[in-house]
Amino acid sequence: MALTKPDTSVRQQDTPVSTKRSAGFPLASLLLGGLALGGMLITIWMAFLYAPTDAVEGPPQRIFYLHVPVAWVGMLSFIILTICGVVYLWQRDERWDWAARASAEIGAVFLSLALITGSIWGKTTWGTWWTWDPQLTTTLILWFMFIAYLMLRSYMGRTAASARSGAVLAIIGVIDVPIIYESAVWWRTLHPPKEIGVAGALPSEVVLTLMVALVSFTLLYSFLMIQVYQLQRAQTLAERLRALVE
Amino acid sequence: MQGVNYLIAAYAVAWVGLFIYLAFIVMRIRGVRTELAAVQELVREQQEKTQN
Amino acid sequence: MNKTARRIVGTDLSCPGATPCDRPARELRIFCDQVWAILWKDVRCELRNKQAWTSMGLFALLVLVIFNFAFDLRVDNKVAVAPGALWVAFIFASLLGLGRTIAIEREQGPMDRLLLCPVDRRAIYLAKLLGNVLFIGVVEIVALPVFAALFDVPLGVGALLPIVLFGTLGIATIGTLFSAIAAATRARELLLPLLVFPLIVPVVIAAVRATGDLLAPALNEPPWLGLIIAFDVIFLSVSTLLFQYVIEE
Repeated sequence: MALTKPDTSVRQQDTPVSTKRSAGFPLASLLLGGLALGGMLITIWMAFLYAPTDAVEGPPQRIFYLHVPVAWVGMLSFIILTICGVVYLWQRDERWDWAARASAEIGAVFLSLALITGSIWGKTTWGTWWTWDPQLTTTLILWFMFIAYLMLRSYMGRTAASARSGAVLAIIGVIDVPIIYESAVWWRTLHPPKEIGVAGALPSEVVLTLMVALVSFTLLYSFLMIQVYQLQRAQTLAERLRALVE
Repeated sequence: MQGVNYLIAAYAVAWVGLFIYLAFIVMRIRGVRTELAAVQELVREQQEKTQN
Repeated sequence: MNKTARRIVGTDLSCPGATPCDRPARELRIFCDQVWAILWKDVRCELRNKQAWTSMGLFALLVLVIFNFAFDLRVDNKVAVAPGALWVAFIFASLLGLGRTIAIEREQGPMDRLLLCPVDRRAIYLAKLLGNVLFIGVVEIVALPVFAALFDVPLGVGALLPIVLFGTLGIATIGTLFSAIAAATRARELLLPLLVFPLIVPVVIAAVRATGDLLAPALNEPPWLGLIIAFDVIFLSVSTLLFQYVIEE
């Protein structure tokens, strides 16, 4: 497939300006970073001290306040990835592609953490490191999709074809995830799924802690998005300039 | 209490993982900034050469 | 331009007195002509390359035999493992088939020439898809009797054919789209399974369970074949629409 045509390349006189701006969104970055850090500290305090100890599971239940937000960020990243991909296909503005790549990378990291923390939590509740219940199965397949996306983008480089292919993969993936989940649920109806053990109404402290955790991790995600977006932008510009010089 | 060990392990893995990732990002940003500066220098030299 | 080329580009407008109401019907006919022409070209190309057929077929059979050793199959557990073995063999054979067609494209470069003609991109996709389904289907049809013999399962079940057909269609729908994507990369044989496997999980689950249900009927089984057909319909439409983005220059 052809490389990106010169009409989208950086004009040389623009480059010094864009490098200065590449320290970019400093205020937003600082603000989000600070809020995220604050949120994290509050979350840790709430998860360990404020929230009550679960009567059935004991202390390990507190992994819940870590595992759920991390998994949530993973899912959110995939949705954002797909949205950026769709807009890219529509607008053909490569900045949306930078955002897509950033979201993919962050999502892969968070989803990996979700799988690990989920596995550890599963060990404490069910006594096994892994079980093929619908949630975990779908999370695992989603993780594979992230890895497939990253590897595809890595192999295809920073071309427009690469961006389009990534967008197509994300769109197919996002449509597929509900189908995968549903088929896993059907698959497991013969073997009763092991409940996560949060039955009945949750105490308000639990709900509040969870909400705070979700917000903090989403702030962290936004902060990381800005950083990795800038990274993607800089890498693309550097690659293009290098191609001009060589 | 075995349960608490798992709890600490889970949080430790997550936090260490996130910090490593953050460090990885910072490292790459520094790397690309050096690369960008170097390439811009080359571009400037080329421009001067073509002007002279 | 010879007749085939004229049919592909749709300038064979030899219908006098066409009214405006005929336009959709005529466009549809041109579309189908395009699909058929590309498909026929690919099939003729494949028929010349008999080695590929035999290797794919043998590969599928080998997988079935290996399952026998891997699971140390005896009479009592054969029925439980048989559907899984069959579909693993089919999936691996499908991936081989998908990988091959794109390798041929890349070597001969007909795709680029095809793209120069004003052919509907969706027609290209459907033609490639049908070609893949036919190709994989033939291998599966050959493998089925052997499967029945090796695993000693009753094959008088005509209900197996829809499962195989729609399951293969599902795999090929996703596979054709992504083989076009992977064809552009250097590591296409490695990348294609990584792209395709996660996405076809519903088809795999459903096909294995549907086959198992045929061999050993159970009560209250969910409508697995319905799931496969829904999957096919959804992803056939989505892939047809998205294919143009994959092969545009």
